[in-house]
Amino acid sequence: MKKLIVLITSLLIIFPLGILFYKSQILKLSLVPQMVDDVWNFHMTVRPKGDVNSFAFPIPMGGPGQKVTDEKIRSREFEVFVDSNSDSILATWSSKELMKGRISYSARIDLKAVSYKNIPKDYSVTYPKGLEKYLKLPKLLDEDEDAIKLLETAILEGSEDKTSLIRKIYYYVEEEIQRNTEIKTIHETLNTGKGSPLIKAKLFNIMARRKGIPSRIVVMVRMPELKKIKEGAKLRFTFANEVFLSNKWIPIDTNRGYFGERPDNFMLIHRNYEEIEKLISKKKVSYSIQAERARINRYNKAEFKKEVIKTDSIFSKISLYRLPLPLQTMFTTILLIPLGTLVLSFARNIIGIPTFGIFTPILLTLFFKETSFGFGMLFFSVVIIIGIGERYILDKFYLLAVPRLSIILTLIIMLMLGYSFYSVEMASISQKHLAFFPIVIVTTLIERLSIELAEEGVLNTLKTLFGTLVIVLLVYALFFAPVLEMFMFTNPELLLLIIGLQILIGKYKGYRVSEFIRFRDLVRQKKKMESLPHDLP
Amino acid sequence: MIFHDLKELGILGINNRVGRYILRHNKRENYPLVDNKVLTAERAEAWGIATPENYLVVENYGSLKNLHLKLLNYESFVIKPAKGSQGNGIIVIKEIIKEERNGEIRVLCRRSNDKLMDVEEVKHHISGILSGLYSLSGQSDTAIIQAKIDKHPIFDDYSYGGIPDIRVIVYEGFPVMSMVRLPTKSSDGKANLHQGAIGAGLNLSNGSTNNAVIRNQVIDVHPDTGHKLSGLRLPFWREILELSARCYDMVELGYLGADIVLTPDHGPILLELNARPGLGIQIANLSGLVPRLEKIRLEAPKNLLAKERVDYSMSSF
Repeated sequence: MKKLIVLITSLLIIFPLGILFYKSQILKLSLVPQMVDDVWNFHMTVRPKGDVNSFAFPIPMGGPGQKVTDEKIRSREFEVFVDSNSDSILATWSSKELMKGRISYSARIDLKAVSYKNIPKDYSVTYPKGLEKYLKLPKLLDEDEDAIKLLETAILEGSEDKTSLIRKIYYYVEEEIQRNTEIKTIHETLNTGKGSPLIKAKLFNIMARRKGIPSRIVVMVRMPELKKIKEGAKLRFTFANEVFLSNKWIPIDTNRGYFGERPDNFMLIHRNYEEIEKLISKKKVSYSIQAERARINRYNKAEFKKEVIKTDSIFSKISLYRLPLPLQTMFTTILLIPLGTLVLSFARNIIGIPTFGIFTPILLTLFFKETSFGFGMLFFSVVIIIGIGERYILDKFYLLAVPRLSIILTLIIMLMLGYSFYSVEMASISQKHLAFFPIVIVTTLIERLSIELAEEGVLNTLKTLFGTLVIVLLVYALFFAPVLEMFMFTNPELLLLIIGLQILIGKYKGYRVSEFIRFRDLVRQKKKMESLPHDLP
Repeated sequence: MIFHDLKELGILGINNRVGRYILRHNKRENYPLVDNKVLTAERAEAWGIATPENYLVVENYGSLKNLHLKLLNYESFVIKPAKGSQGNGIIVIKEIIKEERNGEIRVLCRRSNDKLMDVEEVKHHISGILSGLYSLSGQSDTAIIQAKIDKHPIFDDYSYGGIPDIRVIVYEGFPVMSMVRLPTKSSDGKANLHQGAIGAGLNLSNGSTNNAVIRNQVIDVHPDTGHKLSGLRLPFWREILELSARCYDMVELGYLGADIVLTPDHGPILLELNARPGLGIQIANLSGLVPRLEKIRLEAPKNLLAKERVDYSMSSF
């Protein structure tokens, strides 16, 4: 018997893990679908200052990690000329009369993080002609030249290849030059060891070019965080560098500390600051930039489905991704239930947390998930208050149990009706074809509550309530990891693993953590008695 | 391991109790015999085991109608749910008062805590029992109206309000551990450890108390009577153990809790049985159940009579 259980349990654990291994290692399938990239809606308005009848401004261009679509350049009053001959795009607006209004530009921009790891050593000497402009050195004061030469001997000594030179320059500028927006010239920076982000980029640029490495300052926009999008934050230009190493432009950011990578919240607007320095100067134009996410991160299920079908394995026939979409949505939620029961079993049998009923906590969590945490808690509290209140009020009427519970249920429904006038939450519940869900949960909850109150009294009931709430929170946290949801949906064979683990918990005959507390005094007394001298006559 | 101390003391935990003792030794089909007090009483009568006399068994709402007339036949009684647990839903009526007003008879019941109850309230309580308010699984239930048991004089200094009862854990027919539960003011006169009654461990060899706890705290004197708890030694001790050992033969549950009360006139009688007895008895005795259970399992001779099993337990523990 014991052997059989061990056999079954190990099969239940090994088999799904084996399938996971097979899918990921042999079929080369990923275990969850890839995330869809961040897509941003980007808006920019520019107004020239002074009396002009033409002006130019950079607009975003596609490139590594950056895709620009749906561009709209409003131009009813102006002529627009778009120059996309170089690495960047410059748009020129012109008109026969003096320009008064503002021009506006918008586009959808798809950003991906860019990352180059293990950049090989670079000993290049010559570069294509187009790169010459990225080697030109600006005129510096003599004393600044001397200062830089001194620096070079100090920090770049002994490096041969251009990759390690760049790395050393990066470390120097990133770590040794403190950020200070007041310091705006190379001269001051070299004297004080401080500099604005632009000056840090300029210093890096000069030091790279002096070593014969093509380098440029790029103009970027940092996309806002979720919170700031809501506030409609205006965005500013910010600066970083790119250097040409082993035939690639490598992003480098001495201000935010990125070497060979650019996170997906930075958008390049121009790749050569020197060309547009004057165009974007505040003396010439005023501009305003805004961006918001067009779409939040989502898993690309459609793409994954194709991937699975392509493997032509058994999984291409039994994958849940072949189900119609509404069913898929339903199962993504339902597949979380066994996972929740695992937490529940653990909490009840190994930790010893008391809960209402057996599956009430899981039902409650699903309810919380389908509505919202705040609403769920409110609903839960109201039910509990009504449940306890009715014991004091309806007790005097000597009603039988069933009609009594029915009255509470009706009261809750009335409350839901009332609440729906004030809240949009209700509307969203009804849309999720789960309108009856709260009712089902309330029925089980109230029944359990009523029995518990009768059998254990208010104090113990509150303890159990607290336990239930703890489980709800635990499972809720679990349910809210979208990766987990997708992981279960993509690999439903894990259900077998859950059964295996449940058997293990079911066979656990050791103590519960709660018993450690319960018998604490017994242990203490026993120890005290043992330490006392035996004063027998 | 944080559980090291528990293991060393041989404390029985819930998982172990269920997995190793209850599921192995207690057949599910025998549970109704202990969970339903009406069935327990019937079976006990057949086996010649003394239980409190059941005056009335109320099975349906219809028989509530003339209840007050029937109640007038008794001086006192106890109302309890047949499938109740932990003393829930039990009401003790110590006096019945008859009032005649304008030719109508009004019946009032005085509870053990001196509160007066109208017979309508009594009926409502019974209907609550019938609808399953107090039953283990919330299913509909039967109410028992039973003879009220009087307190044995030995407990006069050791009990506040209600009747103390003696819990004996019986494993494979052998008594393995025992305690007496003494009601207190804070337990509202109930012999229920959860509600604040005293649990006093009893030496199986002679029925004397070895230790006492209230809400898991060791105490020396009864908080309400001020009497020292260590001096108590129960009379009829052998009879108490034999009674509990015979319950094993009666219901065939390998792991069993027998609740026994001492009556002034008839000695020990069986109050009820429990298929899932609590683990608090270990705190009352300041010792673990596991070594005793394992001794019985591994060493005790098989096929003994109840009397012989009691001999074995009294000399072993």
